Amino acid sequence: MNVTLAVKQYISKMIENSGTGMKVLLMDRETTSIVSVVYTQSEILQKEVYLFERIDSQSRDNMKHLKAICFLRPTKENVEHLIQELRRPKYSVYFIYFSNVISKSEIKALAEADEQEVVAEVQEFYGDFIAVNPHLFSLNLHGVARGRSWESSMLSRCTQGLTSVLLALKKCPMIRYQLSSDMSKRLAESVKQIITKEYELFDFRKTEVPPLLLILDRSDDAITPLLNQWTYQAMVHELLGLNNNRIDLSRVPGISKDLKEVVLSAENDEFYANNLYLNFGEIGTNIKNLMEDFQKKKPKGQQKLESISDMKAFVDNYPQFKKMSGTVSKHVTVVGELSRLVSERQLMEVSEVEQELACQNDHSNAQQSVRRLLQNPRLSELDAVRLVMLYALRYERHSSNMLPALMDELSRRGVSERHRKVTTPRSLDVLWTFSGRSLDVLWTPQDIIVFLIGGATYEEALTVYNLNRSSPGVRIVLGGSSIHNTKSFLEEVMSATGQSGDRAQGSSGRHGNRR
Amino acid sequence: MWEPQELGATRSHVDYFKKHRAARIDHYVIEVNKLIIRLEKLTSFDRINSDAAKIRAIEKSVVSWVNDSDVPFCPDCGNKFNIRNRRHHCRLCGSIMCRRCMEFVPLPLAQKLISGTRESLCVPGSPVQSQSPPAGGGGSGMGSRRGSISSLSSVTSMLEEKDDEKIRCCHHCMDTLLKRQQKLEEKDHTPDIVKLYERLRMCMDKVDEKAPEYIRMAESLNAGENTYNLDTAGGLRLEVQKYYELIDALSKKILTLNAKDDPPPHPKAMQLQRMIRYTATLFVQEKLLGLMSLPTKEKYEELKEKRKQEQEKRLQQERLAAQETLKKRQESEKNRPPPSTNGELLQAPRAPRMTKASGWLPSADSGNSRSELQDPLLQQIENIQSFLRQAREAQRTDEKLAEEESLQQGEIHRLKAREREEREHWGPAVGSTQPSVTWERCLGISPTEGIQDEENTEGEELTPKADRSPSSVRAFPALTSQEESPPRLRSLGGHVTPPGGEGQNSTSLNPFEEEDSTPVEEDPSNPFFEDIQREHKEVTNGKKEYNPFDEDEDVREEKQAETAPGNPFEEEEEDSDAGNPFLEASGNSPGVSTNPFDGDDDGEVLPDVDIIEEELLLQQIDNIRAYIFDAKLSGRLDEVELLSENLRELQHTLQEQKKKKH
Repeated sequence: MNVTLAVKQYISKMIENSGTGMKVLLMDRETTSIVSVVYTQSEILQKEVYLFERIDSQSRDNMKHLKAICFLRPTKENVEHLIQELRRPKYSVYFIYFSNVISKSEIKALAEADEQEVVAEVQEFYGDFIAVNPHLFSLNLHGVARGRSWESSMLSRCTQGLTSVLLALKKCPMIRYQLSSDMSKRLAESVKQIITKEYELFDFRKTEVPPLLLILDRSDDAITPLLNQWTYQAMVHELLGLNNNRIDLSRVPGISKDLKEVVLSAENDEFYANNLYLNFGEIGTNIKNLMEDFQKKKPKGQQKLESISDMKAFVDNYPQFKKMSGTVSKHVTVVGELSRLVSERQLMEVSEVEQELACQNDHSNAQQSVRRLLQNPRLSELDAVRLVMLYALRYERHSSNMLPALMDELSRRGVSERHRKVTTPRSLDVLWTFSGRSLDVLWTPQDIIVFLIGGATYEEALTVYNLNRSSPGVRIVLGGSSIHNTKSFLEEVMSATGQSGDRAQGSSGRHGNRR
Repeated sequence: MWEPQELGATRSHVDYFKKHRAARIDHYVIEVNKLIIRLEKLTSFDRINSDAAKIRAIEKSVVSWVNDSDVPFCPDCGNKFNIRNRRHHCRLCGSIMCRRCMEFVPLPLAQKLISGTRESLCVPGSPVQSQSPPAGGGGSGMGSRRGSISSLSSVTSMLEEKDDEKIRCCHHCMDTLLKRQQKLEEKDHTPDIVKLYERLRMCMDKVDEKAPEYIRMAESLNAGENTYNLDTAGGLRLEVQKYYELIDALSKKILTLNAKDDPPPHPKAMQLQRMIRYTATLFVQEKLLGLMSLPTKEKYEELKEKRKQEQEKRLQQERLAAQETLKKRQESEKNRPPPSTNGELLQAPRAPRMTKASGWLPSADSGNSRSELQDPLLQQIENIQSFLRQAREAQRTDEKLAEEESLQQGEIHRLKAREREEREHWGPAVGSTQPSVTWERCLGISPTEGIQDEENTEGEELTPKADRSPSSVRAFPALTSQEESPPRLRSLGGHVTPPGGEGQNSTSLNPFEEEDSTPVEEDPSNPFFEDIQREHKEVTNGKKEYNPFDEDEDVREEKQAETAPGNPFEEEEEDSDAGNPFLEASGNSPGVSTNPFDGDDDGEVLPDVDIIEEELLLQQIDNIRAYIFDAKLSGRLDEVELLSENLRELQHTLQEQKKKKH
């Protein structure tokens, strides 16, 4: 039950199948993300894959001395691109892998285009999801809902993603879904349909307890994505944004050129692997140790290597030093930026109030704290909105709630219209749960795949990670249509409620024109 | 917490794909072949000396032409045919098109296609020279020239127009032919980058093969073990470094391939070259930076000494422990005789298994080894030959033996060659006046070679033996070897020769290990000890520096442990050799006498000091160069500076060393 390993194994199998020689990997937009999350460039270079190309790229040249490995989603466009490619092949041999089920008719169309007999392999390898952590996957889909029901294209994409996870992990599960959510029900039915249709594919070894697929709806728990996070991975995502395990640091003041975008991958970064679930305080200590360790190994700038043994020691330590220096500068930068943001946005105070709102039931204290913070000029817009939203979710039905006053406060602070609209409750009937409590039931030993429609959070990933460690026999993989931080969650809510200014307006505008 | 998992589900569509492709390909291949056959017919006669009418007649016989009246418009461009826009027939398929849509197959292209196709049928892979100009360009060029002339000519002259060096065809046929030509060209053409790349990969494979071997050696040497020889390791290091240089050079060459061409190569081609270079750099960085350096000779001696002392201490302790267990065991066995037979029965299945794996054990001819002890190299050759003889006598014909035999023969060659080499090398310079020096050198190298071989087979040696009671194998070489040669001599042979039998029971063949690990005082059952000791002294007389005692502690401990719980064979041996005269003499501690030449070592090494320093310096210079290269590549300029400074210093030191020496 390791999704990262599942994708890695698929990819290394593809490369292995193609034999020795120079290779090019042909991908589409989505498979590029899928591959890049689990493999670093240098890892894949070592497997003789030297070029990474998009199937839709026009700038590719004839290179008949290269073998092509095509890893593509089975979309219409991709099949069409591939047909064009095979008609005028640019590479010597093609090994074609689709990330999901492809129809016979499309295979036939491809076969008929292959007059030059360049295709050596056509297979389905079900790596149709982004494996963020070993037990966390995402489909990188935003705006899955329209109101309370599916955006139609998203339902089929979610179904594909989810069935591919099942196939990659070789699980034919029992499906359970959240009854209160129509979207959950629709997705469960859709997955079931695929399993029935492709029963041959899902014919895996039976286990005593069948694996479980649990489908939940984000609207079940709107609180978690609104809270500030304090573990490393979650914090990075909340404050800096983690996209396919990459952070964009280009906005960090005084950033050096090679640190503008950094990769945080537990697969290749020992420090990250050891710290991604630790909280901020611990990371501070660990980074300090890392620095000290590094300083010891670092050759001193002016120090002369006096003796042969000095030089020998230097030479022997150098490789380790070099490897370390990359890791050190990366994490020092990231943690430095996190702590700058924490103090600049006074996140300690904000978080304290968030916790108060989420965990305690004292309305007058809560509203006082919120008001006090809203008055603080250093409070960022996002944090202000987040506090009012949390307040709304919690005390909306409280007899003396201060929501209108707080909304006034927000507008006085100049919070943009579209953010204010979000806070107006669609949450009347939101169930009250907190930080993955919905996941926190007693598990029987079994393999469980949890999917959160509308996006999971790193907070929940941490819960799952701890559950995996603490309950023997239980193996849980968490997935979401995306992985949220507060910002992306707000966008998701806005798009679902049709309040996301631009896009919703744009489409309604078009409707208007048509009439 | 994540266990390994199998590859996820997959589904192959290859069969379905191929089925549908086959139908299409058959059609395509027939189409191409048809065109080629017609082309052959059209070019098989002397076009230049035939008149236009004759050519036309032949052309018409090859393929039936479509009736003019059936085609009022050009099927390709749709223009109406009239007196100015005349119909033209494709000579390959008979269809009609207008002048503008017409193409020409130049004769050279036709010849090439025909011969290429024929060759691919008869002699696959024979090179086709591509001397003709690009077919499309040539064809159209000629076409336009003709066109301008013919537009001035009369109608009759147009009818008379003679295609003596080209064949007109429609562009569908032309397209098919061009595709075919491209395929033919690609088949025989290997771009430079592929050739360079193949060599690059070969070097990388070599490094993958050699580097771990070197690292193993360096680790062992740095730990003060005697398993490997310092010079051999140094040589291997040089070899590996040579490969790195090659990798660097080749990848650099790939990087700059066609870089100055005009027009410049496609950006993707350049990217490919850059990526290959980058990968090679990563490879060198990762592997080369992991190459630890070797200790200097002086340092190595120190390390060895330290290790020896540690081992002696441990040996002493173990001996005491083993003595106690032995006593206990003997007592307990005396107390209960029936179980001991049971024990024998229980042990019995072990023996055949053991014999199966190591059934034949080479033993040296006693006379030779004793008399020729003065020349260890010759002695080794002698020994190996005697093993071979014995092997033949034993008539073991299974594959393993054959393989072994060849290996041993190889060894002989190698040893002979080396001896010659040594003589040539050292003979005139040092050896001629002082033969003992020659031997010293030889000894220094040859035993290591043997041991190194053993080390290579360590993997297979350890695993299968783990449950196969290594102790019994070791303690009773007599049982597994041929019965006719007396045990004493057998052990002698085993002793003098470093393990020659690869993969076969090399533990028992290594006499030094046996000696070291044989508990002398408390294990009187071993009658060979004294023998070995004396023998050992004799051998070590010849050498001064290297003590090829190989010790694997884990194995030894295991053996010790295994020996303790009453091996029935041991008792047997004890009985038969009870009256061994060397028994008493073995009272002296082997620890003290292991290497009687310890004292000499320091004196011997001293004159070499300068040379060693130089070696080390060169090594470090190599390393630093690699780092500079790496640092430059990743743009860490401050580091480059620091490193360069170090490099200068090192070079300076080297100069000084050289001056001192001269």
